[in-house]
Amino acid sequence: MGSLARAYGRPLATLITGITLLWILVLILVPLGAMVEQSLWWRDSKGDVSLAIDRLYNDISLIELDRNAETDPAKQAAFDKALAEKQAEVATLEAEEKNPPKTYGFANFTRMSALHFYIFVRTILYALLVTALALVVCYPVAYVVALASGPRKAVILMVALIVPYAINELLRVYAWLMILDYRGVINGILGWFGVVDLDNRGWIPFLENPSAVFLAMIYTYVLFMVFPMVNTLETLDRNQIEAARDLGASTARIHRRVIIPHAKPGIAVGCIMTFMLSAGSYSVPAIMTRGQGGDWFSQLVYRQFYESNNWNMGSAYAVSLLVVCTAFILIMMRLFGVGLRDIAK
Amino acid sequence: MSTATESAGARLVLNIYIGLFVLYLFLPLAVMSAAAFNSYDYPSVTQWRGFTLHWFVALANDQRLLQGLVNSVLVALGVIAVSIPAGLSGALILTRLGQRSGTFLYSVLVSPVLTPGIILGISSLIFWREFGVPGGLFVAVMAQSSFIASYAMLLFLARLQRQDRTLEEAALDLGASHTMVFRRITLPFLAPTCFTAAVVAFLQSFENYNTTVFAIGGEWTLVTEIASRLRFGLSPVINVVGVIFVVLTLVAATGYVLLKGKPKR
Repeated sequence: MGSLARAYGRPLATLITGITLLWILVLILVPLGAMVEQSLWWRDSKGDVSLAIDRLYNDISLIELDRNAETDPAKQAAFDKALAEKQAEVATLEAEEKNPPKTYGFANFTRMSALHFYIFVRTILYALLVTALALVVCYPVAYVVALASGPRKAVILMVALIVPYAINELLRVYAWLMILDYRGVINGILGWFGVVDLDNRGWIPFLENPSAVFLAMIYTYVLFMVFPMVNTLETLDRNQIEAARDLGASTARIHRRVIIPHAKPGIAVGCIMTFMLSAGSYSVPAIMTRGQGGDWFSQLVYRQFYESNNWNMGSAYAVSLLVVCTAFILIMMRLFGVGLRDIAK
Repeated sequence: MSTATESAGARLVLNIYIGLFVLYLFLPLAVMSAAAFNSYDYPSVTQWRGFTLHWFVALANDQRLLQGLVNSVLVALGVIAVSIPAGLSGALILTRLGQRSGTFLYSVLVSPVLTPGIILGISSLIFWREFGVPGGLFVAVMAQSSFIASYAMLLFLARLQRQDRTLEEAALDLGASHTMVFRRITLPFLAPTCFTAAVVAFLQSFENYNTTVFAIGGEWTLVTEIASRLRFGLSPVINVVGVIFVVLTLVAATGYVLLKGKPKR
C-alpha cells in the first residue's frame, strides 16, 4: 500500500485498492461465503404441522355446526370462545408452516441419499480417469510440439491444436452427440453394412451407456492438458537433451530424468485443469444425455436448484464438489512440488 | 532444427501418433460442419439428401438464437467493463507487494480460475438473490467476471514484470504529478495488454456455458440457448452455428499464429 501510494499518489492508490477489494469481496469471497452459509441451514417442512392444521379446521367446522344448532346464548358464548381459541391456534401454526424456522447444521451434507453419494463418488473417479488418460495421451503430443519438431512444423501443429481448443465446448460435445446418436454417424455406417437396421429402430443405443459421457468428456477437455505441458516444455534447453544423449543416456532415461522433471509444473497445471473441468462439467453430461440421465454430479446440483428448488441441498452438493477439487489441487501441488505462482502462468 | 533424440523408427511412430491425434480432434468437427449442408432435417452425413444452404437461411430467421447472440455480446461487454479494471488493479497491487503478503493476495485472486465453473455460477446466484436480483444477464456478468478478471490480471502481471520502473520514478523526479505519470507512462505501457485482455475476456465470456447456465435464470445467451435446443432433438441449424464458429476460429487462430511469428526457441 505504501509503495503503491508512492508510485501512483494517494488518490489513485486508493482507487486501485478499492477496485481490488470490491473484486475480492463482491465477486469472490462473499458469494462463496453465501453459498457455504446456504448449505449449512434448512427449513423443516414439517408434515405434522400441516396435519395439525387440517385437524384444527375439522374441529372448527364441528364447533360451528354445534354452535349454529344451539339456542342457549350462554352455551353459544362458550362455543364462540372455543372457536376463537382454535382459530388463534390455526393462525400461529399456519405462520409456522409458511415460514418454518431455520435450523443450522450439517444435515444437508449427511442427508445425501445413497444413490446421490454413489454418483458423487463415480463422478470423481471418472474425472480422475479422464485426467489420467488425458495425461498419457497428451505427453507425446506436447513433447513433439515443444521439442521434437522444426519451427515450421511446430507452428502448424499449434494451429491444429488451437482451433479445436478454441471452438465452443458445446459444439465439441454436439459433434460427439451426432456421432453416437441413434441415427448418428456410427449407426449410419453400420447401417450401410447391414449390421444394424435403422428403419426398424434396430440401432445400437450408444448414448444410453455412461461411457458416452466419458468419451465426449475426454474429447472436450484433452487439450487443457496439452497447452500447459507445451508451455513448460518449450522452456527446456534442447542442449540438455543433447548432452544427456552424448553422455549415453537412453531415450527412456532422458524422458525420465531430464524432460519429465522439467515438465512437472506443466503436468500439475494440466492435471488440475482437466480434473477441475471434468469433475465440474455440466455441459458434457447434460448434452450427451439430453437432460435425461443423472449420471454426473453436476446434473444433480442443477436439479436441486432448478427442479427441486432446494437451494440449501444444492449448495451443500456444490460445496462438496468444491472441497474435492480444492483437495485435488493441494495434493497435486504437494506431489509435484509446485507453488500457486507456477500454476497460474 | 529439431533434436534427434530418437531413431528414425521412433520418429515415424511419433509422427503417425500426432497425425492420428489431430485426426481425432478434427474428424468430429468436420462431420458436424458437413451436416450443415445436408438437406435432411436431421443432422447427418451418412444419409445424404443433397447440398443445401437452407439451414443458413433458417438460422438468419431464428429470432431466439439471434436474441441470444445479442445477449451474449451484451454480457461479454459487461464482463470486459468489470474484469479489465479489476484485473489491472489487482496486478498493480501485486507488483508492489512484498513476497509474503503478495502470495496470499495472489492465491485469493487466482482462485476463481481453479474453481469449477458451476460453483462460480451458483455462488453468484445465491449472493445476488440476497439483494433481490434474480438470475439473469446481470448475474451472469458478475459470475463470469469473477474468473475472467483473474485471467486479465495474469496477463497484466506478465506485462508489468517487464516494466522498467525507473521511467516512472524519473518522471516523478522531474516534477510530473502521480496522475500524469499513470496516464502518460503506465497506461500507454499497458495499452496493448488491455487490448489482449479485452479480447480474451470477450471470447471467454462468449464461450462460457458452465457458469452461465446457473447464473442466467430465465434469460439466455447464444450458448445456453444452443444447449437447451439440444435437449429437444438435433437440428441442422445448430450445425450452421458450428460451421460459423469453426470458420471464425480457423481464421483467427491462423492470423494469430502468423502475427505472433515463429515461436521462439
